[in-house]
Amino acid sequence: MTVRSEATRLDLDAILAVSEANREPDWLRELRRAWWQRAEATPWPTGKEEEWRRTSLERLPRDVDLLLDPPRAEIRLDESLAANGVVFADLRDAVHAHPDLVRRALSAPDATTHDAPDAAEHPLQSVGSGEWGPGVTEFDSHDKFWALAHAAWTGGTFLYVPADVAVDDALLARSIVDRGNVAYFPLTLVLAEHGARVTLLDEHRSPDGEPVWFGGVVDIRSGREAYVRYANLQRLGDATWNIGAQRVEVGPSADVTTLNAEIGSAVTKVGLDVRMTGDGGTSRVLGLLAAGDDQHIDINAFQDLAASHVTSDLLYLSALYERARAAFYGVTKVRSYAKQTSSYQECRNLLLSPEAGAEPIPVLEIETNDILRCGHGATAGAIDPVQLFYAQTRGLRPDEAERMIVRGFFEQVVHQIDSEPIKVRVLEALAGRIGTADVIEGVA
Amino acid sequence: MTVERATATSGFATGLRASDVTPGTVQVVEVDGRSLCVGLTEDGEWGAIDNVCTHDGGVLGDGELDGNAVECPRHGGRFDLFTGRVLALPPVRPVRAYATRVEGEDVVVEL
Amino acid sequence: MALPNPALSQIPDSYKYGWHDAEMKPLHVMKKGLNAQVVEEISRIKHEPEWMTKLRLKAYRHFEARPMPTWGGDLSQIDFQDIYYYVTATDKAVQSWDDVPDYIRRTYDKLGIPEAEKKYLAGVGGQYDSEVVYHNIREDLEKQGVLFVGTDEGLQRYPEIFKEYFGTVIPPNDNKLAALNTAVWSGGSFIYVPKGVHVELPLQAYFRINTENMGQFERTLIIADEGSSVHYVEGCTAPTYSTASLHSAVVEIIVKKGARVRYTTIQNWSANVYNLVTKRSTVEEDGIMEWVDCNLGSKLTMKYPSIYLLGERAHGEVLSIAFAADGQHQDAGGKIIHAAPNTTSLITSKSISQGTGRTSYRGLVKVYPGCKRSKSTVRCDALLLSDEARSDTYPYMEIDEEDVTIGHEATVSKVGSEQLFYLMSRGLSEAEASGMIVNGFIEPIVKELPMEYAVEMNRLIQLSMEGAVG
Repeated sequence: MTVRSEATRLDLDAILAVSEANREPDWLRELRRAWWQRAEATPWPTGKEEEWRRTSLERLPRDVDLLLDPPRAEIRLDESLAANGVVFADLRDAVHAHPDLVRRALSAPDATTHDAPDAAEHPLQSVGSGEWGPGVTEFDSHDKFWALAHAAWTGGTFLYVPADVAVDDALLARSIVDRGNVAYFPLTLVLAEHGARVTLLDEHRSPDGEPVWFGGVVDIRSGREAYVRYANLQRLGDATWNIGAQRVEVGPSADVTTLNAEIGSAVTKVGLDVRMTGDGGTSRVLGLLAAGDDQHIDINAFQDLAASHVTSDLLYLSALYERARAAFYGVTKVRSYAKQTSSYQECRNLLLSPEAGAEPIPVLEIETNDILRCGHGATAGAIDPVQLFYAQTRGLRPDEAERMIVRGFFEQVVHQIDSEPIKVRVLEALAGRIGTADVIEGVA
Repeated sequence: MTVERATATSGFATGLRASDVTPGTVQVVEVDGRSLCVGLTEDGEWGAIDNVCTHDGGVLGDGELDGNAVECPRHGGRFDLFTGRVLALPPVRPVRAYATRVEGEDVVVEL
Repeated sequence: MALPNPALSQIPDSYKYGWHDAEMKPLHVMKKGLNAQVVEEISRIKHEPEWMTKLRLKAYRHFEARPMPTWGGDLSQIDFQDIYYYVTATDKAVQSWDDVPDYIRRTYDKLGIPEAEKKYLAGVGGQYDSEVVYHNIREDLEKQGVLFVGTDEGLQRYPEIFKEYFGTVIPPNDNKLAALNTAVWSGGSFIYVPKGVHVELPLQAYFRINTENMGQFERTLIIADEGSSVHYVEGCTAPTYSTASLHSAVVEIIVKKGARVRYTTIQNWSANVYNLVTKRSTVEEDGIMEWVDCNLGSKLTMKYPSIYLLGERAHGEVLSIAFAADGQHQDAGGKIIHAAPNTTSLITSKSISQGTGRTSYRGLVKVYPGCKRSKSTVRCDALLLSDEARSDTYPYMEIDEEDVTIGHEATVSKVGSEQLFYLMSRGLSEAEASGMIVNGFIEPIVKELPMEYAVEMNRLIQLSMEGAVG
């Protein structure tokens, strides 16, 4: 048993000690300090904010040690790519090898990356059964965790792809939290210059049984006509609290797809912020949730259509077993000045146990009529008994039939994963809940 | 003055002294790890129900007692102090009710 | 679909109910502002039983204690101390139009109410500022035991049934505005339909605000006993003033076993009225509740008619039309609570935003555990007519039961230029063409309205187009 020392508490001293131990440059130490001040100045979510009403942070394991020296991410990069200027490394190493790139990729607390014309409309609290939660214009209440991770990160993954460089094979990064009773805030930074092409699988694990506060933050920026595929495979342990934030900036005519496969953790609460800031950009925001036991998965997605001729489509699918609960609160916002946009937001939930629950809430805030396409859909329900019956007439046991149907349901997202190795890993990770592909092949 | 007459042996003492309780009020009492809303009506009848409103988690013991109706302080939902039945929305699910009586000076509930 | 009437394009002002009645000589005008004495005074004027006075005062405390809602629309301009809480022109409701004071009758004549009553209504109530001035029901229904009176009269004449239900669907502490209504309520309709009685023609109530800075707080209670049915229609208009009025009603409906209630609202307040209304119904087994809610007028409407499906096989529907012209915000929708197995529901919402208008659909579908085989479908469509218009959709779902089928779909679209071009090439003006497209868009709901209202609705939409297009 480790003795808790002052040096491992989540505070500015510990953070500066981390910076010192990693011999970080002055600018980075000061950046951490600035982010820490921001984190301190940003209140914790109260549970009254619309996007925090469904997840309480009361039992978040806050009183744990900061994980000071996590194992380095498992990363491999072809030498020819490195020769072309691609950087793919543990963030701690990248800081020393490519300080200027890291400095560009790291967001700073004083920079505002996009306008907030509706700041005055910001929601307060809702009370009363005859009353409603407020509309949300931006998920500011995830900023606390964004700031904390930028102050207190002790590991992470850095990916840089120079202009017009194509990385054909998927890059794989696997980070493992090697012990419990820790807080860990890894950063994943992806910077894809104009015309760059890259696919990244970002996998996270932590041990079962012991509390972990996992505060992963992902920051993806894509330049003009960049092509980015990012898959986050969340296989955290059963006592891990996963409180994360992801930001994706989609540049002009860029094409970005993100996939979050939420498999592990006791509680997951992730804020996705997809910013369509360049004209002609395309984003797909995909999610697969397979949850059981007492898992609680709460996703907030903000699709901000802030440029013209952009397309943003979201599809989140949940298969909920046992007492699992999935909440989805997403906002598609079409800004008044964004012309000719297309967007869709879809959240579908299969309830596979009488005690499972779902709260899908897809919100639209549309400030202009100059739209090509805009809509959303949400469903929740059990497997169609007709489907189940049909599968059983083909000789499947009820449990096999159920798994086959769930896999068929997930196929709507899985078929959109255009990297074979990533598809395989995602399906492997899901197998614990929904079985392996053999079942389907056996029938077909 | 009691509602249900169960055997004295299965009751749990609430720690309340009957003479300290104002008629027409409810209060929160922790009994055997359970949080209860215990009340005494103007008519001198004792009752107890689960303390948490089934609508939105309001603390019933912090509410008001009007006749035999316990009113949740959050949104005004009402429950019957003796049966736990819903008397006014927004709750739709009842709460559990517990037989309550006075033994000597002690207010006792059956769990 | 109604074809546009060319004569209407001659009317410059698109709000035809905007006159006010200068002749009104109020019997009681309580001075502006709200405090416990005002609440007591209202109760005293009405000679109410003590329990009601106490309830009002308690509700007033809740009103004081609760913060103003900060979601939905902008409520920051409402000054509760700058409102008249009680203004009345007469001291009793009469049963013949001849007995209504002349100047009030002229108002209702202009609105076409007595005419409508003769033709196709089973009963009519008229409320003018705070009090019901007219109430009548057909004799045959009265003989069958149907009660249709002003709510104040209901409290005086039927105290037992009144006390049994009042405030049980919407308690005084439900939300700030329900608390306000409970504290200062006046007027509204009290309806009781006995077991097995079917009221074939609609009962109608007509709400008119005449006084500037008036607050109208009517309170309606409808009880449809087992196996009965009734259709209630309300219409609302007000003069166009430069300062705001407040309308904050509470409507409670109890649909008993196998009964059916339809409640239709044609809300056409002038654009200076804040319309903040709480409407809720409970439905027992095999009962049916339908809200048909058309919001055209007001500065801001916040209203989400709710249905609590408490018995097996109960069914609920909300059909909602919202039209927001320049400067208007319609924040409307519906809530369905599935609290029993085999319950079904449908919400259909059509909203249209024009100019700088804003429509928001806000809805909730909740399924409690154990409510097996519940089904709910929510369909929201929004049409945006200008590039400054705004549309929001906030569909909440809380599903705690596996064996259910719950779905929500929404679209937002604009009037297509191809569609417009086509219609204009057939000789229609842009306004006429837009009007036709909008009327087609809302047609699925309009066809559920009584015919006279359907015609009126299409006419109003057409008028709004004239004011805004071209």
